[in-house]
Amino acid sequence: MSDLGFPIKDLARRKFQTSLTIIGLTLSTAITVFLVTFGESLGFHVSLITGGKLTTGFSYVFSLFIVIVGILNFLAGVLVTSFLVSTNMHERIQDIGIMKATGCQANSALSYFFTELSIMVFTSCTAGTLLGILARFVCINVLNALGFSIPQKPINLWVVFLIFVAFILAAHILGARPIMKAIKVKPAEALSPLFSLGLITAPKGPTSSKLGFNFKVAYRSIMRRKSATYQAIICLSVVLTLTTVAIAGGMIANQTTQNYVERAICRDAVLIAHPDVKRQYENFLSQFFEAKQPEKINYIDPRYNISEPLISSLRTVQGVRRVDPRFVLETTIKEVPGIIVNPEEPEQPYTIIGDNRYSEALIVGINLEGVINDWLIEGRVLNNTDMYSVLIGDTLAYQNFDNAQKQSALIFNKKFEIAGVCLDPLNNGDVVYMPIKALYESTERSGYNLLLLKIDPLNYSKTITEIKDKISGTDLEISELNLILDKHLNFLNRVWSLIMALPLFSLATATLSLLSYMMLSIAGQQRELGIMRALGAKPRTIVKTIFLQAFLIVLASGAIGISVGFAITWLFLIPEAVVSFLTLTTIMGWLLLAIVIISLTSLYPAVRTTKKSIAQIIS
Amino acid sequence: MKERSVFASSLCKEYRIGDFVIEALKDLDLEVIKGEFVSIYGPSGAGKTTLLNLIGGLDKPTSGKIIVFGHDVNTYDEDFLATFRSTNIGFVFQSYNLISTLTALENVAFPTELAGWSGERAQKRAKGLLKLVGLLHRADHLPAQISGGEQQRVAFARALANNPPLILVDEPTGNLDTETGLEIVRILEKLKAKGKTIIAATHDERIMGLANRTLHMRNGRIVTANE
Repeated sequence: MSDLGFPIKDLARRKFQTSLTIIGLTLSTAITVFLVTFGESLGFHVSLITGGKLTTGFSYVFSLFIVIVGILNFLAGVLVTSFLVSTNMHERIQDIGIMKATGCQANSALSYFFTELSIMVFTSCTAGTLLGILARFVCINVLNALGFSIPQKPINLWVVFLIFVAFILAAHILGARPIMKAIKVKPAEALSPLFSLGLITAPKGPTSSKLGFNFKVAYRSIMRRKSATYQAIICLSVVLTLTTVAIAGGMIANQTTQNYVERAICRDAVLIAHPDVKRQYENFLSQFFEAKQPEKINYIDPRYNISEPLISSLRTVQGVRRVDPRFVLETTIKEVPGIIVNPEEPEQPYTIIGDNRYSEALIVGINLEGVINDWLIEGRVLNNTDMYSVLIGDTLAYQNFDNAQKQSALIFNKKFEIAGVCLDPLNNGDVVYMPIKALYESTERSGYNLLLLKIDPLNYSKTITEIKDKISGTDLEISELNLILDKHLNFLNRVWSLIMALPLFSLATATLSLLSYMMLSIAGQQRELGIMRALGAKPRTIVKTIFLQAFLIVLASGAIGISVGFAITWLFLIPEAVVSFLTLTTIMGWLLLAIVIISLTSLYPAVRTTKKSIAQIIS
Repeated sequence: MKERSVFASSLCKEYRIGDFVIEALKDLDLEVIKGEFVSIYGPSGAGKTTLLNLIGGLDKPTSGKIIVFGHDVNTYDEDFLATFRSTNIGFVFQSYNLISTLTALENVAFPTELAGWSGERAQKRAKGLLKLVGLLHRADHLPAQISGGEQQRVAFARALANNPPLILVDEPTGNLDTETGLEIVRILEKLKAKGKTIIAATHDERIMGLANRTLHMRNGRIVTANE
């Protein structure tokens, strides 16, 4: 028989353990390859999935989310892979002892088990890499069929190769540890259960636990193989951190971004303008979810003017809560470098920041007391004393300025202080809000070409009808912003649902990790479980004890993973999160479900072990 | 008429390993009356342990009937058998088979806790039994921390935890030196005096000397019986 013959035959003989390790490793590699390569299209260049529609502020949240999830997923993948291989090899310690006891040289035993390890690792990593690439291809096609626009660009083979090598190395390094450990011990020690179980000190756990008899047995069992237990806890903690970031982070980010959009666009608001301006404004608002080229229109065309009497008349409509007349136009905005004073550094008392970048932007002249939006994310709101101050959109702020609030903007050849930055889907954040008086002065124009009305939601339909009556006979048209807002929210929902679903695949590997740990644990306890049954323990007592072991591990991992996941979400991902009680409850519900599902997997090996003959187990 | 503890008729047990069939027991008949001490000896592979496993409901016969305290153990499900073992049978295995994560006291208390006793009551009973086998001072030690003889005495204490009427003992002195084995013989003597039904697979002549009857097994059959 060839050198590979014996190891292959041995792996085939231990079908269940070998399959579990290979499936776990394959999935773990596949998911990492898939997420990292797909993430290239999805997250690191998030604009690709949204076709460049998101504002910079939103893109930042999405990208950060994907980067954090990507790092965690890679970490989880490597840990799961190493853990699976390590537990598989740990089970072979006794076999190594037997081989050495029968006269097999240490080197031969070493090469035999290394060959087994390499066969499993190479098979799984190769299969996993191919599966991951295939999953990416399928996923992109499915998503494109659903209306997204993700290009099937060539896969980054270097990234794939790096993942492949990282997984191979991690699996070999950690898988070799138990082999090396077993090779070093004397055959008699390796054959003794005390070697692998490490039972030389009295238990420190509860001797007569009030939590019950099963708890005591379960607790002692997991504490006796501390190394494997800690490995399992670390592994599951990382996966549960990933799950928490995916579920909690995703839901919180979704709610927060939706909240920003809702505040920026304003629910129960209507837009009144000449059909040309109305269409243009709708286009600017819709660029968030569908890229359309704005038309070239002359904003100062007298036909677009909305008369003061009509505005006054609309103010009197009972269901109108607020009237926000505007004058909009497009122009170029130029960056003005700023100076930062450093009083504590005499050698360099000031620093000049910024450049002379410029960009086309939508300029919106507003009456400060009537603005219906609430979208400020940095700085301060404009007040009545502000004449040459502006608020700018997030894309403009982050792409055209180094530090917007320390710099100024040149608009219509006038210098404007930048008072604040708002997260605004209008024109994808390429927007400037300035006091309407300043705009009149700069353009030597007056009047309004656009009107936003905030409507009482309780009398919405009636009010809309009244408004339509008032504007009938004019050139103006009405547009309900709720329709556009709902499209925004649906779009955000779709994107977040997609992103959140991806890391959840990692739960499958977490489940396999626990299954593998439980197999190792049960294999180590097989004889004792048989003794327990011989002494009168019913099958359900055995199942309960094993389930408790799994649950304790998942609970410990859950406590760590969920806390770290929430910390990452709040500290790095969304520092100013908007979370409702319902969202929090939903998040906790999902996480609890994840914990229960992972724990329930232990039932399979538990039930399997109760089906075996007691006589065979203890003989 | 004397009450029967164990009755086996035409008992067969086969093990199948691939294409091979090993006949561990062949048409074996056995009757053990209440309070009787029966010892069984025979070479390795004679079927002694298999017979004890079948009496204890740890395994099912391929054919034949085995009745223990009036129950046909072959016909019951695993739940019933667990309760049956817990209340009627005390096992002592050659390799002690203590639960390695539990202390001596916890090992002895284990069957009573399984039977639903409160922790306090179970511990009190376990302490009494450890005292009986002279190991109360080892109550908080793990199996790995005590000697083979002490482990076997703990196993005896555990077998008595639920005060079962039948004790099945498999080579109790097989792994012990002569002197340590004597302690086990003394415990068996005490159990016999208490009127327990004991079936012991052994090669120890001191144990055989205690028995009311000694059976010689070979190739899955009882070949001779000495009273």
